[in-house]
Amino acid sequence: MSEAANGAERELDLGWMDRTGPWETRAEPGKYGLTIADISIGDYGDAPEVSDNLTGRARGAAARPASYRIGAYAVRSKNEIWLDNASFLYEEALQRQWSSATDVPWHTIEPLPDDVEQAECQLATFLTEVEFVAGDVPARWVSLTTPDFYEPRQVLLAQVMDESRHMDVFRKRALANGGGLMQATGATSGFVGSIDLSRDFTEMSSRLHVSGEGAVLTLFRMGELMAQNEAEKVIYRLCAQDEARHVAFGVMHLRYMSETAPERREEIHCYLDEAEGGLIGAANPVGQLTPTSESMAIILGGGKENFDDGMNKIIAIRRRQLQEYRKRVISAGFGERFENGRSRVAQMIEEAA
Amino acid sequence: MALFPSVDWFDEVRNVFNADDRYRGAGGGYCNCVAGFRIAEKVFVLTFDGFECSAAAEGDDGTLDDVDFYLEMPAEAWRDMVANIAANDGADLHHTLNTLDLDREDGLATSKHGDQVREDLFFRYNQTLQFFFDASALVETEFP
Ligand SMILES: [Fe+2]
Ligand SMILES: [Fe+2]
Repeated sequence: MSEAANGAERELDLGWMDRTGPWETRAEPGKYGLTIADISIGDYGDAPEVSDNLTGRARGAAARPASYRIGAYAVRSKNEIWLDNASFLYEEALQRQWSSATDVPWHTIEPLPDDVEQAECQLATFLTEVEFVAGDVPARWVSLTTPDFYEPRQVLLAQVMDESRHMDVFRKRALANGGGLMQATGATSGFVGSIDLSRDFTEMSSRLHVSGEGAVLTLFRMGELMAQNEAEKVIYRLCAQDEARHVAFGVMHLRYMSETAPERREEIHCYLDEAEGGLIGAANPVGQLTPTSESMAIILGGGKENFDDGMNKIIAIRRRQLQEYRKRVISAGFGERFENGRSRVAQMIEEAA
Repeated sequence: MALFPSVDWFDEVRNVFNADDRYRGAGGGYCNCVAGFRIAEKVFVLTFDGFECSAAAEGDDGTLDDVDFYLEMPAEAWRDMVANIAANDGADLHHTLNTLDLDREDGLATSKHGDQVREDLFFRYNQTLQFFFDASALVETEFP
């Protein structure tokens, strides 16, 4: 019994106090603070192999039997989205955030020759376009994943934040030095956009994280190489770091899938067949001659007159890009495709030589 | 005055790096990897743990089997990079680790195990590694 402000007596319903998840839990901070790995203890640490949670209930909370369904979660089997290091990747993503407004020394950008500035703007237009897809697609899959698999969801949510920063930082670059955005490249309606047609999370992840973002990682590193000033150097270096986390998510997920669902290996190889197609098409600026590869060659060469020098550098880096892709797929557990003639990547590496 | 390369030199850089909070933001932050360096026939290993570079040690060729990745360049290229950092208070556009990696036919970063996920840590923690070497601008360095 308690007394309300107006003096009336009020019956308290304290029944909610008995409806708890596992109790007397005492998570303790480790050397990196209180991380989500540190709270993965007891029943709270157990993600189910198959989730029947359709009500948005937090994993480990007591269920409300009468609650209605709020999520038509398509991803409810653990091996469809799980990876071993999700908690670690998430904490790392939080720790290594940066601000495109204040961590980039924008004052170091100075006027460039017209052809180089146009090439920079073309590349920035392409990247802004691509980053829209990189943000939108994981966001969609977050909403399709049961809250029981909150660890990989958190990593994907952090990725969406990263991609939103990438989207804005290239837009800022395009508008910072007397140029502007150029014509849309069509990347979003080609291979990059087709990532969003995936009907399965692993299909999406092999195209987005492993093939697409692996290629973009090389592209960002190349951006750092060809930067004309400290601002561009920082932009590309920091974007590459973020990208390497996204790639790690995809490779570690493929590895988990390969180990826990061997019956799906053939299907995954088919996804990789498709993903490899994206490495040669126009969606990859170091893949074939396109407005973006042309602009990169101009930046790398230092102007239109040195286009061939720039193109030679692109070809060398394309080879590196393909080699890294191959090693990531091997690391994920699907290396046999490079031995049994299924993959065209070895041939593509040779052609790039 | 610390001699490059030596454990003493890496320890002095570690002291500068570990004491400066600015390296924990701006794209720096948690970094967990073991990085090797092959410099003029010598091998050094740095351990990064959370915000800190917690150890520097000298090793041998076999030590490189266990590191996540290692960086290898001719002695003159290392010396050029360290001198450039000292002269410019941080690497200029042509001497950042990533630039040196892509500018070289065989790259700067590699591994013996060939596991790309571990090699990718060089990219994932690139800003921290750059902060680390840029911190050497504050260490008085002599070359043999
Ligand atoms: Fe991105
Ligand atoms: Fe990404």
